[in-house]
Amino acid sequence: MNVAPSAEVPGSASIAGPSPPDSVLIAEDDPVFRRVLRGCLQKWNYKVVALENGLDAWTALQQENAPQMAILDWMMPGLDGVELCRRIRSQAHGSYKYVLLLTAKGAKEDIVAGLEAGADDYLTKPFDLNELRARVRSGKRILELQAALVKAHADLQFEAAHDHLTGVWNRGAITDLLQREILRSVRSGEPVGVIMADLDHFKRINDSYGHPVGDAVLREVAKRLLGSVRNYDYVGRYGGEEFLIVLTACAPSSLNMTAERMRVHVGEKPVDTAAGPISVTISIGSAAQCLGNPDQRGGEGLVRAADSALYAAKAKGRNRAERAPEDVAASPAHAAVAP
Amino acid sequence: MKPLRFDAAANQPPIGSGADSASAPISSGTNLWGKAEALRRLGGDEDLLRELCRIFLEESPKLQEKLREAIAHADPQAVMRAAHSLKGELGYLGADGPLQAARELEDMGHGNDLSRAQETFTFLEKELASLHLVMQDFAGARA
Repeated sequence: MNVAPSAEVPGSASIAGPSPPDSVLIAEDDPVFRRVLRGCLQKWNYKVVALENGLDAWTALQQENAPQMAILDWMMPGLDGVELCRRIRSQAHGSYKYVLLLTAKGAKEDIVAGLEAGADDYLTKPFDLNELRARVRSGKRILELQAALVKAHADLQFEAAHDHLTGVWNRGAITDLLQREILRSVRSGEPVGVIMADLDHFKRINDSYGHPVGDAVLREVAKRLLGSVRNYDYVGRYGGEEFLIVLTACAPSSLNMTAERMRVHVGEKPVDTAAGPISVTISIGSAAQCLGNPDQRGGEGLVRAADSALYAAKAKGRNRAERAPEDVAASPAHAAVAP
Repeated sequence: MKPLRFDAAANQPPIGSGADSASAPISSGTNLWGKAEALRRLGGDEDLLRELCRIFLEESPKLQEKLREAIAHADPQAVMRAAHSLKGELGYLGADGPLQAARELEDMGHGNDLSRAQETFTFLEKELASLHLVMQDFAGARA
């Protein structure tokens, strides 16, 4: 499961979660057993989806938020429990499904075939309710362990790609994302825009109020930057008080507007800190990708160009946005009007 | 709790005697319905057992009909399927009397030999008729 590479709310490592391990799908054509299973599981506080045949169960299991546990009868018209089990296992994506197969008593061959088809456990009819309860509970335990593992993995992935202080992408991740977006833009024809934003006089804040206050300012600025881009743009912390923003499918003409919106949004209200409200401003350098000549403005080139523009913004008095000059030198394609 | 027993001496029609299951009709089997076993399996939940009996009373005639047709059409696969379902329900409800006959029919279907199916089916129907009466008494539902 990959952490979605989009602009994220800082600190949220959440993944689109499957349904909790206490919902159970039942596929059983026999009404007596369906009633027993549904009634008892509900009594034990499971959420139950009870279906009469394998095909309906297969459809239900494809849904987002489908139950993770399935109790499947072996013999059903249409699609039987074993075939259904095989289909569930052949599906590589999605969350793990715990499958409990119901078989007739003493059908050893069936049990072996069922386990080989990928069932996790089985229950023979006529089962007692105590046994049913114990087996469903052990399935639930496995699903909970599985969910904890998946979450731990997602948390680690999140941590590896995000800046601890601000929660935005870290330098490694934002650089990778820029590279990926540039490759994508060559195919899609939609150019990438890059913005370098740097807090003005940040050292003064640290020196006057201490690092904890400086950290709070950085967190708030990151939040304001995130709030001024679209949710398919990327914000990353590039260095100490420097942020790199990657704008996807960004027409060069709208780059200045975005930069200006960011500058205003960061500076319009003081940041509330433990040391009281502190006014901050940012300087911005931006650069647009020249699609006609990818060699000239790959990721590194774009960042360099934006950085020079940022330097110019600082030199011209800070709290302003500067645009890197369009690189007209080499690309003949640049002269052509884009289709 | 001992399974209910029905012997030839207690041959009373059940009509009007709903409360007293000992006066239920008889069949040839000794253990027509092991209600105690079914109850134990359900953790002693009488209400649930009652509801299951009602479902069984509604569903088993359909399976009987399927069996009858399957035998009439000499279709061993269909005999096996219907007998299998019936067997599962009977086993779960502890109805050992008709259970044996259902099991035999399933085996016959499985073995592609329906030569004795009609005879076994007739016996099964008789057992089921008795079982239905007892269950109706218990479940408080009249067909």
